[in-house]
Amino acid sequence: MNHTVLQTKGLCKTYIVNKHQNNVLKNIDLTISEGEMIAVMGPSGSGKSTLLYCVSGMDRVTAGKVFFNGRETAKLGDKDLARLRLDEMGFIFQQMYMMKNLSVLDNIIFPAVKSKKNRSSRRQTEERGRALMHRLGIDDVCGNDINEVSGGQLQRACICRSMINNPKMIFADEPTGALNRASSDEVMNELLALNRDGTTVMCVTHDPKVAAKCSRVLYLVDGGIVGEKEMGHFGGGDKEFRNRERELNNWLMEQGW
Amino acid sequence: MFWRILKKDLKRKKTMNIILLLFVILCSMFAAAAVNNIMTVTGGIEHYFDVADVPDVIVKALNSEENDLGEKIGELTSVKEIRTEHWLCVASSKFFKYNGKELENFMSTAYLLSDSEMAIDYFDENNHIIESVDKGCFYANAPFLQDMDIKEGDEVELTVGNSHLTLKFMGRFKGALFDSGNTAYPYLIMNSADYDYLDKDEATHIMNGRQFCVNTSDVDEIRELAKDYSGVYVYTREEIKDIYLYDMLSAYVLMMISIVLMFTAFVVLRFTIGFTVSEEFREIGVMKAVGIDNGSIRSLYIVKYLAITVIGALIGYFCSVPLGDMMMKTISENIVLGSESGTLMGLLSFAAVVIIILLFCYGCTRRVNKLSPIDAVRNGQTGERFRRKSLLHLGRSKLPQAAFFSVNDVISSPRQFSIMIVVFTLCILLMTIMSNFALTFKSEKILCFFDVPSCEAHIGDSEIVGEVLADQSTYKTIIADTEKLLADNGMPGKCTMTMGTQFETSHEDKTAKIVFAVMKGETNDTLYVDEGSAPQKTDEIAVTVSTLEDLGAEIGDRVTTVINEKEYEFIITGTYSSFISQAFLYKDFDLGNLPANNILGVQIHFDGNPDKEQINKNIEKLRDLLGTEKVYSTSDFIKNLTEMSDTLNAIKQMMMIITVIVTALIVILMERSFISKEKSEIALMKAVGIDNGSIILQHLLRFVIVSVIACIVSTAVLMPISNAMMNWVGNMIGDISDLKCDFDPLEIFVICPAILIGVTVIGSYLTALYTKTIKASDTASIE
Repeated sequence: MNHTVLQTKGLCKTYIVNKHQNNVLKNIDLTISEGEMIAVMGPSGSGKSTLLYCVSGMDRVTAGKVFFNGRETAKLGDKDLARLRLDEMGFIFQQMYMMKNLSVLDNIIFPAVKSKKNRSSRRQTEERGRALMHRLGIDDVCGNDINEVSGGQLQRACICRSMINNPKMIFADEPTGALNRASSDEVMNELLALNRDGTTVMCVTHDPKVAAKCSRVLYLVDGGIVGEKEMGHFGGGDKEFRNRERELNNWLMEQGW
Repeated sequence: MFWRILKKDLKRKKTMNIILLLFVILCSMFAAAAVNNIMTVTGGIEHYFDVADVPDVIVKALNSEENDLGEKIGELTSVKEIRTEHWLCVASSKFFKYNGKELENFMSTAYLLSDSEMAIDYFDENNHIIESVDKGCFYANAPFLQDMDIKEGDEVELTVGNSHLTLKFMGRFKGALFDSGNTAYPYLIMNSADYDYLDKDEATHIMNGRQFCVNTSDVDEIRELAKDYSGVYVYTREEIKDIYLYDMLSAYVLMMISIVLMFTAFVVLRFTIGFTVSEEFREIGVMKAVGIDNGSIRSLYIVKYLAITVIGALIGYFCSVPLGDMMMKTISENIVLGSESGTLMGLLSFAAVVIIILLFCYGCTRRVNKLSPIDAVRNGQTGERFRRKSLLHLGRSKLPQAAFFSVNDVISSPRQFSIMIVVFTLCILLMTIMSNFALTFKSEKILCFFDVPSCEAHIGDSEIVGEVLADQSTYKTIIADTEKLLADNGMPGKCTMTMGTQFETSHEDKTAKIVFAVMKGETNDTLYVDEGSAPQKTDEIAVTVSTLEDLGAEIGDRVTTVINEKEYEFIITGTYSSFISQAFLYKDFDLGNLPANNILGVQIHFDGNPDKEQINKNIEKLRDLLGTEKVYSTSDFIKNLTEMSDTLNAIKQMMMIITVIVTALIVILMERSFISKEKSEIALMKAVGIDNGSIILQHLLRFVIVSVIACIVSTAVLMPISNAMMNWVGNMIGDISDLKCDFDPLEIFVICPAILIGVTVIGSYLTALYTKTIKASDTASIE
């Protein structure tokens, strides 16, 4: 049995907006094992992104427990939580957020420069960054400014940044939301490749084509997991993909998608 | 819709709008204070003379027996009005007793005037005209009150000859025609009955004084008449303004400070407006995309800034009143300041601030025209960048992450951080230049500019040297007696005295009234000349550069001077610098028994080069022997001469406080706007695992880099600027060239930079703590 990377018990998240209590997440119990690739789907406002931020330690939970690699994140201070995100997690956002005063390559390597886990020299770190860029096919833009590259290239750069510290798990919040189909496929293929290499991926998406490549799909409605579909690992190939997509769409229809 | 967008903008971008409002307030406050100060300073003396009813011509007659000068002036056809004021003389401060002790605080003789015979209006501390003085009471001007902790209602005893009075102090008065410097004559205004009582005593008449205030259409006629009387000096309204040089210089220094502060505030404001506009490029792109034209988009922002500016400028205008008063406090002690056009100028400055800020906005929103919707929406992260910025490479740098980011940020936005460096440099220069000025004006190196040789001690008691004012030939006795006293008491030394007398001098068709200085006694010092050589014969003189210009002469030319009704011809051998004279005679030139205009006491150069401790002992001994406290070391003597040093010190301290406040405000507001602008980056850094400490350190280091560069730049330019300004000031007071400023390395290189860096570090750290409120999850809600 695979080792559990992430586990939540009774996770609740409540926001108070204009004195109005908004229970965004309600009693979420979730277990994610090493090597899984989870897609979180659901209608807008169902709490998908909030779930991702809560389990990744980017946001504090209101109630319940979150264990990452066996450590309860609620018990960690801000500094330790930051260290955990830096060393053990990778993040990809819908918007390609980057540090605007840094080149694409520097944007990729800066988490490694800060990480105490990283024992290699700056030059070696830079080489690792270049290798990642090469792997994702964007090595020709490593010296460029972030405004000099396309959205697809920038998102792949964000994937490189999320991978630079060899994280245990990558959290992706609608990573293909701002991309066209071709770029979207490229990004998903990279995430799949990462997953095949052993990195656990949790991905929030609206796109069934993205979710169809994942091993498990969670369906959220009004802050609760109302459905869960085990898809198995995607082996590749158009035929298999079409079958998975059809199967997922049917299931989503059942969920009220 | 337009108003709805505007309303929403004002609400949603509250932080940046508040920051903008604060900068507008700051800007308007300094602008209004600066304009007010400029008006007050430039028209200050004229205004004071007007309210004090200063006439066209002032005729001062000192040491003259009662004669018919007043009647003769009155008989002149051009004279419309003549007002006369008599003064009684109190030879020394020792004739006054306060708290049972004789006064030692002023060097010159004091003069008394009656409340029934005030030729011009005198003012109390609150700028009210003194109409009368109660019997047994008196008002005194600044020279009388120096180093004296006297309070209103305190009593002072005055004993002159056989007359004795106990007088109650009513407060300080301001006299438009009286110098207020430490070495100036103290004046007291008293009740006519008290005055008449003292008038009967011969001891108050050793130096009679009269002042005629004349309104006339022909000044030359009075000058001609005055030539027939000795000890009579004629000044026009313009000429008498020279006594306010020190006050006006302080005022001009303050005016410059106001201008620098105003400039600083405007620069920062311009930067902040550019900042806020660049933040909104994406919205501009969206508006363009939906078809709103450039004019409407620009007017949206301009209306927003107009609203903020009008509110800010109004608040700033009201805040400027106490600021202006605080800045002018030291100056207003001696001058009745005020500007009749103050309100109008205030409103004009308010309008100017609004217009300038709107011009900034207009300039900053100009880029709206150039932007295409695609540029704004798609380029870069928020659409504001269109050119390469990253210059350093993290992979090749050895700097830690926070330090690298801060250095990279500074390099990536050179314009933004250059403005901050300029602002901080100006802030630190305001402190350090003031420090240099204050130090130079009490430095021993400027002794030579007072026409006295290098020496170790100075006797400044008017009772000892006062005779020279009536008869210059008495210097021989004074020097001989002093040297004998020194030798008899085991501290042999040589004495000198420098006397100044005003004579009319002409060259070709040009004539000028210039003060001739002559140094008597033995000294190894020769006159320090800037060009040419020092006079070596009795028919040679050195003159100041401006005198050369006034006379249209050059070195080597001959000038003619009438001294004691005899015409002398002098060859100009060189130029020199001086605060008090315009020509320097050879030491052997004999001025006979003419009265002197000024005398700076007796200078003593002890034989055998005694050390500082011995000099102090000698000074103490001399004080006992002469029965006066007015024996000074060179540093104390200089301090007394250049009273500006104290004023500048006061200004320096005020500047330090203002600089700390302004720097702190700039740092806090700038850092707050940086945080607002960089919210997405901060959130991203937190999301990828950069801790709060590193983010705060990065923000703090940016300000430290800027302030350190500002300290280096200010240190590099400090001395050239100080020297240039010092010589400008020196030229205003006297005729000085090539004066090098003194500086205190501890203050210039340690204390002032430490203040700036300290304020920057504390201000940016406390403000950067706000980054803690930005959460990693905010990456989801960033626009």
